[in-house]
Amino acid sequence: MNIERAALLPTIEKMKQSGFDYLVKITAVDYIKKINVIYILRSLEQNKDEILEVEIDPTDAWIESIMKFYLGADWYERELQEMFGVKIKGRVAKRLLLEKWDGKGFPLRKNFVWNKSYDKE
Amino acid sequence: MALTRINIGPVHPSTHGVARLVVDLDGDTIVKIEPHIGYLHRGVEKLVETRMYMQSPPYMEKIDYVAPMAMDELYVATVEKALGIDVSEKAGYARMILLELQRIASHLFWIGSVTNDLGQSFTGFMWGFRDRDIILRLLEDATGQRMFYVNMRLGGITREFPKDFEENTIKTLAYLEKRMKEYENFIEKNPIFIQRMKGVGVLSIDDAINLGVTGHVLRACGVKYDVRKNNPYYNYETLNFHPKILSDGDNLSRYRVRIMEIEESIRIIRDSFYKLQSAHGNMVGMPVKLVSPKPVNKIAMVSREAPRGEAMMYLVCDDQKPYRLSIRSPTFINLAALNHIAKGHRLADLFSIFATLDMVMADVDR
Repeated sequence: MNIERAALLPTIEKMKQSGFDYLVKITAVDYIKKINVIYILRSLEQNKDEILEVEIDPTDAWIESIMKFYLGADWYERELQEMFGVKIKGRVAKRLLLEKWDGKGFPLRKNFVWNKSYDKE
Repeated sequence: MALTRINIGPVHPSTHGVARLVVDLDGDTIVKIEPHIGYLHRGVEKLVETRMYMQSPPYMEKIDYVAPMAMDELYVATVEKALGIDVSEKAGYARMILLELQRIASHLFWIGSVTNDLGQSFTGFMWGFRDRDIILRLLEDATGQRMFYVNMRLGGITREFPKDFEENTIKTLAYLEKRMKEYENFIEKNPIFIQRMKGVGVLSIDDAINLGVTGHVLRACGVKYDVRKNNPYYNYETLNFHPKILSDGDNLSRYRVRIMEIEESIRIIRDSFYKLQSAHGNMVGMPVKLVSPKPVNKIAMVSREAPRGEAMMYLVCDDQKPYRLSIRSPTFINLAALNHIAKGHRLADLFSIFATLDMVMADVDR
């Protein structure tokens, strides 16, 4: 299901009320001209999965945090921010989750350059 | 009182790999835990984007090195779905047998490490590892490798089972059933073990769902979710088996769920061998070629009940290579719940909780 960025929180709230109480994963795909942020939600009772896709512009990459609905979103959102450079609004910013380097660039974006030293910039 | 901050790891006997825990303590009561991960981050998701589809399985095996077959199979199944390749009935049973053997081996490894972390000297550790090695020997017979098998091929497995494989496996399973009773006597009748497990690290059912924990952690809280049952793959729906559910949500429940899962896996393997005799189709899959068939689906999503919980892959296809592969590793989300579970406990209990969550750090970091 494709939704607008502004409709994310209302949609998620509605889905949670209708039984989709389990967050399976948050991930993203970089299609160069757009980044699709993907939410996989599950209703344990109905045994059904639902996929929400939100298109965002890579030059203005941000999305609302859904932590108030799913605590499990915490690390997925941090990973998203670190790997795709999608800023998460409405939550406390924390240190990098996976990378131990202070590098620039976002590894899972397609314009990330391999083997380039970012130290000297 | 001022909080004390202590650092555990990155390399510590009880952190199972390279994990670092920064713990805030009030006296010896845990106020907050911040797991620092990423020491084993290899960027697998990025690496596969540079390889042809069937060049990647060896990388996938190293994601979860305690149960390599599970990740290997998951990746190949995802690619099969994208390329539109069917798995025959016979190959399905063969894969189920191998996966369940892998599950038993992984759980036995975990029994060893739990008892070791709880200070049951070295005995439990050696017991777990000894029995695991017997299973690994079976897998070696079937695949040619002891640990990193790379045994899955598109549409099947690498080779037919050897002639005496079934006989050996059935014999081993009978031995293992006997051993499981010994484990029960040795471990569950040990008062120290029970004291450190019962009522410790309790996770309520609502929190478990909200935190999104998976696998034995979820089932120990009373949630009936097992991918093999709820979203069956291969021929699991033809077998009569039941996911194991307990409701206490504490360390002991997590432990017992796992023990019962081993017993259930033994039954599944026996039934699968029986059904394999009359199954149709080819067991052996396609040889690995660099040029694979064109994908028929642009996006493929597959999830599996891996030994540590639900593993999932989300694959976006390009012509010959994956455009993007996103991996949901079960331990990642279970570790994220550690702070919630261990808050309010004593520092000494942290290790029993951490042990029962069954962390493989390579799987967390990918």
